[in-house]
Amino acid sequence: MATTEYRQDTISVGGAKIGYLKGGRGRPLVALHSVEGNLGWLRCYDELARNFTVYVPTHPGFAGSERPEWLESFHDLSRFYLWILQELELERAALIGHFVGGWLAAEIAVMSPRTVEHMVLVDAAGVRPKSSEITDIFLHGTEGARRLSFFDTKQVADYELLFGRKPSPEEREAHVINREAATRYCWKPYMHDPSLPALLPRLRGIPTLVVWGREDKIAPLECGELYRKAIAGARLEVIDRCGHFPHLERPDDFTRIVMQFLAG
Amino acid sequence: MFIMRFTERAYVNYTEEDVRKSFRNSVRLTFPNTYFNPELGADLYNEYLDEYEFSEEAGFDGLMRNEHHNTPTCMGAAMNLEAAILARITKKSKIVLLGNPLPIFDNPIRLAEELAEIDMISRGRLVSGFVRGTGIESWATNTNPVHNRERFEEAHDLIIKTWTTPGPFRWEGKHYQFRVVNPFERPLQRPHPQIWIPGVGSPETLEWCARHHYPYIYLETDPQVTVQMTELYNKAAAETGYEPGPQNFGYLWRIHVQDTDEKAYEVGKGFLTGNAGVGRVPMPGDFMAPAGYNSREGSKRILEQYKHALKPDALYGGVDAAGWDAVVESNRVVVGSPKTVIRKIREGLQVLRPGILGVWTNDGTISHGDTMRCLELMKQEVIPALREMGKEFDLPGPFEQAP
Repeated sequence: MATTEYRQDTISVGGAKIGYLKGGRGRPLVALHSVEGNLGWLRCYDELARNFTVYVPTHPGFAGSERPEWLESFHDLSRFYLWILQELELERAALIGHFVGGWLAAEIAVMSPRTVEHMVLVDAAGVRPKSSEITDIFLHGTEGARRLSFFDTKQVADYELLFGRKPSPEEREAHVINREAATRYCWKPYMHDPSLPALLPRLRGIPTLVVWGREDKIAPLECGELYRKAIAGARLEVIDRCGHFPHLERPDDFTRIVMQFLAG
Repeated sequence: MFIMRFTERAYVNYTEEDVRKSFRNSVRLTFPNTYFNPELGADLYNEYLDEYEFSEEAGFDGLMRNEHHNTPTCMGAAMNLEAAILARITKKSKIVLLGNPLPIFDNPIRLAEELAEIDMISRGRLVSGFVRGTGIESWATNTNPVHNRERFEEAHDLIIKTWTTPGPFRWEGKHYQFRVVNPFERPLQRPHPQIWIPGVGSPETLEWCARHHYPYIYLETDPQVTVQMTELYNKAAAETGYEPGPQNFGYLWRIHVQDTDEKAYEVGKGFLTGNAGVGRVPMPGDFMAPAGYNSREGSKRILEQYKHALKPDALYGGVDAAGWDAVVESNRVVVGSPKTVIRKIREGLQVLRPGILGVWTNDGTISHGDTMRCLELMKQEVIPALREMGKEFDLPGPFEQAP
């Protein structure tokens, strides 16, 4: 499936072993995963890896990375991520994050704008919408949330591999670990940081792209509009006939939009 | 043997179809509260209180209550309020709360205050049970399930300290921080009310209880598994340096008695609409145990324990799935005339040997009238027989022998 060579590695950060994938050539780009955990080297990374060195870390506490005992909140997580970037010797990198990973990217950026060269927020959590709600994925459960995640699963080339087939015992265990980690960080306030909107205007110097599946039933489009409005110069690209995972459901449109943005 | 009476105080004015057309078919948590009629609720609360008052007259040593939220299966969301009422309208029986779900309280000091008042008003009759609460309680109060055990243990430690250490003092914990702990309301019982812990066998909880000398009350668990769990408790107790006895164990058992076996068999069917709700529609597993609620090690150990019990007709934790005949045949619910019930309980007590017997007399659609008859027959025949059995099998309760 993957055409790019990438390697799997770990790095010690604050005493915790953090796993990550790394492949490609060029300026660094860090891809931040969401509640599903690290889904591995996705097809869209192949495109990005032509022009960037793509890092795909596994967040502490998710399957593949340890969690330092003190790390409990989303703020702990984002502060710790500055440390991860430091240990990876990434003084400046482009960040691309999906849902919880997008929220994470925004938190990293408002804490340390100089660290972020470009920012891509994909159906990102983190801001509380006013006239809609971020779907409670925990309340819906894994199956329920999955059913809400795609406009048309037939558009997802690797659906069977990623979501459809029966998981192995190791994958089931990883799923439990990932659910627990997502619960730990995102439970309350649910999927957002009340202070984040006030800090987003600080990011006006960072080229920012917000990408959204129009039919996203998990993160409402309103959140994308909130991000765009809060960050001067940010662009919002909405992909039609697309749900919560544009990078999986409409990969060609997605990578074209993102590559164009990163080149600029 | 300490004999206490229990009911979950169910509300049953809805149908299986109502549950099946609601979110994730769940009777708890998300089943809309528009199905609750407060006018009917007012009648039910008062009937349930009448039953508890009569239970004292019937000779029960204890009046046991529980707490649940966002569910018609138990109307005791404010269990301590109900206990406070009993503190005033009863005189002899212990008021057994099994239990306050510690993790859902952001202010354990308030809990310490409430329980102290109940203990004083009742003149020292409170048994203060604590629980982790089901996952539903966490969902309903937006308490992070990942911290459930930590909050349980820290809140417990804080409450015990509040009751036993002169105030004012400071508490700077991981989950709770209080700078002036100094409630004037302190329990009457010294050093504090007894603490009992009910559950279905989480190994970590069992071991924690044993280390604290807290009686563990098994909630109608499979008898074979119960015996295994008792061994876990005994081992932890031995490591702590003591030998537990019947006074360290309780068993909650659904027991309904009527004048004849046939009547009891028919009336007892009402139990099936209780704990698991009308229609017994299986609930989403992640509602009862959301991610992080059980440690992975704990989950594995629980599965190990219940391996033999996870058969289609086995009754894990209760009467959730099996047919009524199977339930009655297995004695997981005891129904019958006084003579039949006494005989069946005798068989069970010999195996389980609890010093505390929880008699779950009614639930679900069992009517108030039938419940009162059951309590009357308990008074006349069953309780006296149980007292004899307690002596015969040497089953001291925790007020006869310290746990």
